[in-house]
Amino acid sequence: MSPESAQKKQVPTIGGLFTWPSSDPRLIGIRCKSCGTCSFPKTYIKHRPDCKQPELEEVLLSKRGKLSTYTVQHYPPPPTFKYDGDFAPYAIGEVAFPEGVEVFGIITGCKPEELKMGMNMEVIVEKLYTNEKGEESLTWKFRPVSK
Amino acid sequence: MKEVAVIGVGMHPWGKYPDKTFVDLGVTAANAALKDAGVEWKDVQSVASGVYQWGGGAGIVSGQQLAAQMGERGIPITNISNMCATATSAFRMACLEVIAGASDIALAIGLDMSPIGFLPALSEDPKDIDFLRWRMIGLTNPGYWAMECRKRMDMYGTTKIHLAKAKALTSKYGKLNPYARYKREFNIEEVLNSPVVCDPLHLFMICATSDGAAAAVVCRAEIAKNFQSKPVYVSAATLGSSLFGDPTARLGLLAAPAKQEAPLLSESVSAANQAYKMAGIGPEDIDFVELPDNSSWHYLQYIESLGFCGPGEADGMLDRGETAIGGKLPVCPSGGIGAMGEAVNASGLAQICELVSQLRGQSGARQVEGAKVGMAQTYGMLGNSACAILKV
Ligand SMILES: [Zn+2]
Repeated sequence: MSPESAQKKQVPTIGGLFTWPSSDPRLIGIRCKSCGTCSFPKTYIKHRPDCKQPELEEVLLSKRGKLSTYTVQHYPPPPTFKYDGDFAPYAIGEVAFPEGVEVFGIITGCKPEELKMGMNMEVIVEKLYTNEKGEESLTWKFRPVSK
Repeated sequence: MKEVAVIGVGMHPWGKYPDKTFVDLGVTAANAALKDAGVEWKDVQSVASGVYQWGGGAGIVSGQQLAAQMGERGIPITNISNMCATATSAFRMACLEVIAGASDIALAIGLDMSPIGFLPALSEDPKDIDFLRWRMIGLTNPGYWAMECRKRMDMYGTTKIHLAKAKALTSKYGKLNPYARYKREFNIEEVLNSPVVCDPLHLFMICATSDGAAAAVVCRAEIAKNFQSKPVYVSAATLGSSLFGDPTARLGLLAAPAKQEAPLLSESVSAANQAYKMAGIGPEDIDFVELPDNSSWHYLQYIESLGFCGPGEADGMLDRGETAIGGKLPVCPSGGIGAMGEAVNASGLAQICELVSQLRGQSGARQVEGAKVGMAQTYGMLGNSACAILKV
């Protein structure tokens, strides 16, 4: 991180999806205490059809998971998706967490050709775009775990 | 569902019509279906209309907009929104009207002008889970399909050649379909050389979005021959939703279960299984199928999900020519969504129109010889899917 960007204010693009501020940010999921079903984000609640005592708890997903699949998007998504500067193709992956849920997210920190199904990934929080106030608007991303 | 017959179908050709409204397209399709059925607008006792979700307030009550142009008559109009399953849901609703005895003759219609390019978000509300995938990841619909496709390639050895072959085959039929948007044959090389959109899916392995409208007139089977010399009978019209534990990367979601406890595309499997049960037949009795080939991955996966072969075996069926017209199971003789382009809220009824045309033996150069039983199956955005089985 350059000194300038370290000084820039960083704000989650949307709150409640990952722990922030944090030096070890995690995705915030939700789990049923009765049927054990875990999902993400915490507003998307799931139960087994026969679950009778739907009592919920927030759960922080593990820092690490395994890449089950991925793609590289070569064209800019519709304008709901914001990014700085010119569009560059980027990878999106599905990462399986030990809590029993697989989450989609942008992949960073490696070249697409280095990606392999089954590789270990970790959750980080990074800039998505610079907002109108000049702040870094953040999202969760996945990065291959360096050996 | 033996008591319901389709006596008329009609379409507005698929394409891009910036100078028309979705209602204009619908009126063309409705009038064509009424004419084909030999009935008049005044004979229609109810309408089931697909909601056009990119059409604002007017699109939500699409059936009322249609009635305004056709002439308002005070009849029941149900507007149905079910994403990809919308038009087939409208068809099912019209059939249920007849089965319930509420209508002798009912009209089902789907009408759409889908946005160009990637289908966009429908809200800017963080409580809308679907909005989150757009804002936080920029995850497009083909992005989901590409991730599933890569899994398939890893699991079964499906190659990009298979993906290209599927497009090459359906494009041959699209060329012969007067209602298709892309009347052009693609060869395997062209498909492989088209730009990568979401790796491993290339541009010509993914459907475009289109404008279009399609309609069907259904009635009590006993009176069908009063109007139509070649009625087609509805063996099943079903709706399926997802099963718990379905591992599919489901459009609009941020996550999927890590442990598989249900089939891939379980909403579609549910719709198809209900349809087989309702019709009292199995996959081996289906003469041809219109399935949702939104991408080449869908083409292969749906052949398996609908029970026409085992997991990973669709590639071989394609290689052996079994999915071609003249093969064991012709797939998408209309050219499919690949050649039509997806008009989300209308495509299901376009499939019904193709079934009726084939079953009447009116499909010309793309006719499936001796077709007696046809199946139409939709995809489903947020875990819904519709299926219909028609027969003569
Ligand atoms: Zn529960």
